[in-house]
Amino acid sequence: MKNVTDSFISLGYWPSAESFGFNTDILATNPINLSVVLGVLIFFGKGVLSDLLDNRKQRILKTIQNSEELRGGAIEQLEKARARLRKVEMEADQFRVNGYSEIEREKLNLINSTSKSLEQLENYKNETIRFEQQKAINQVRQQVFQQALQGALGTLNSCLDNELHLRTISANIGMFGTMKEITN
Amino acid sequence: MNILLCSINTQKGLYDISGVEVGQHLYWQIGGFQVHAQVLITSWVVIAILLGSAIIAVRNPQTIPTDGQNFFEYVLEFIRDVSKTQIGEEYGPWVPFIGTMFLFIFVSNWSGALLPWKIIQLPHGELAAPTNDINTTVALALLTSVAYFYAGLSKKGLSYFGKYIQPTPILLPINILEDFTKPLSLSFRLFGNILADELVVVVLVSLVPLVVPIPVMFLGLFTSGIQALIFATLAAAYIGESMEGHH
Repeated sequence: MKNVTDSFISLGYWPSAESFGFNTDILATNPINLSVVLGVLIFFGKGVLSDLLDNRKQRILKTIQNSEELRGGAIEQLEKARARLRKVEMEADQFRVNGYSEIEREKLNLINSTSKSLEQLENYKNETIRFEQQKAINQVRQQVFQQALQGALGTLNSCLDNELHLRTISANIGMFGTMKEITN
Repeated sequence: MNILLCSINTQKGLYDISGVEVGQHLYWQIGGFQVHAQVLITSWVVIAILLGSAIIAVRNPQTIPTDGQNFFEYVLEFIRDVSKTQIGEEYGPWVPFIGTMFLFIFVSNWSGALLPWKIIQLPHGELAAPTNDINTTVALALLTSVAYFYAGLSKKGLSYFGKYIQPTPILLPINILEDFTKPLSLSFRLFGNILADELVVVVLVSLVPLVVPIPVMFLGLFTSGIQALIFATLAAAYIGESMEGHH
């Protein structure tokens, strides 16, 4: 209680120190004890603190190293994966190219075979046509020949007499004779 | 403590050995407000230490951290760890806040315990850790309050206030009270611990100037670190609590 009143009273008449200054009383300012305390604090605190900080530093270093290693491993794996990807892509390309060429070849083969069969069919058709033609021609020829033969038979029957008969036979004999000579 | 100073005019010599000043402040007038200048000065020093070391540490960042960078990354890791365990999955946006709290309080406490502030003499009062002053700790605690309200409201909207009747509406007064006790306990815990530390050290120094205060000073260092951690952890826990959902 007295402190409060004192402090206000002292505003007016406090006698000991009126302004800023230095207190040179070594016992009152207590520097000896303070320096002892500081010295002990530094002496013991330094060891503990430096241990602590060293540990922390080592931990950080280890963490960094670990993550570096992990990073290296990850990069390596990435490289590997990339190489595999490249290989697979190349294979895929090859497959694609192969497939295309296969298809082309198949197409060509197909076209070839188709055209071949087409040709065959054409040939067959032509053959058939020719055969039919031949047949028709033969028929026509046979008919014409028959008619000619009938005509000739008629003619022969109507106007054949002995003399003509003989002449024809002799002429034919002569003709056969010459044919025989030629063949011989 | 000031009872010792009552007979100051007559016993100036006694004052010189045993001048323990509590409640003495150097006042500045800033825009109609009376501010505690010694707290501002030490806060600036603390801020300068933090900013300077952070800037130096991140000036030339390496993939494999060297000493300073390594140390600051370790600190950051620690703070993120604290936030993650307290807040949960969505701890990301709150790391700066928790980290600021933790680092400021920690460096403040340790500066009070390690730097020879008393070499510099002020017209009134004396330089000490910024967290030695209730205004600083209340400010930090209120910031924490604002932060967890903001966290809850931005996460859940108005349904955030539904937590006041969880698990039963009977607990409504207690739940409302909690919002006041949280910053209160935060600020008083930090303030009380640091002030007590420094007072014990000062009283011991005034009684036996050498050697005897040293164990207490170590205890002070330990307590200071613990208090900073507790403050940051509790702030993170409050934020996490207001963000966790009962879907």
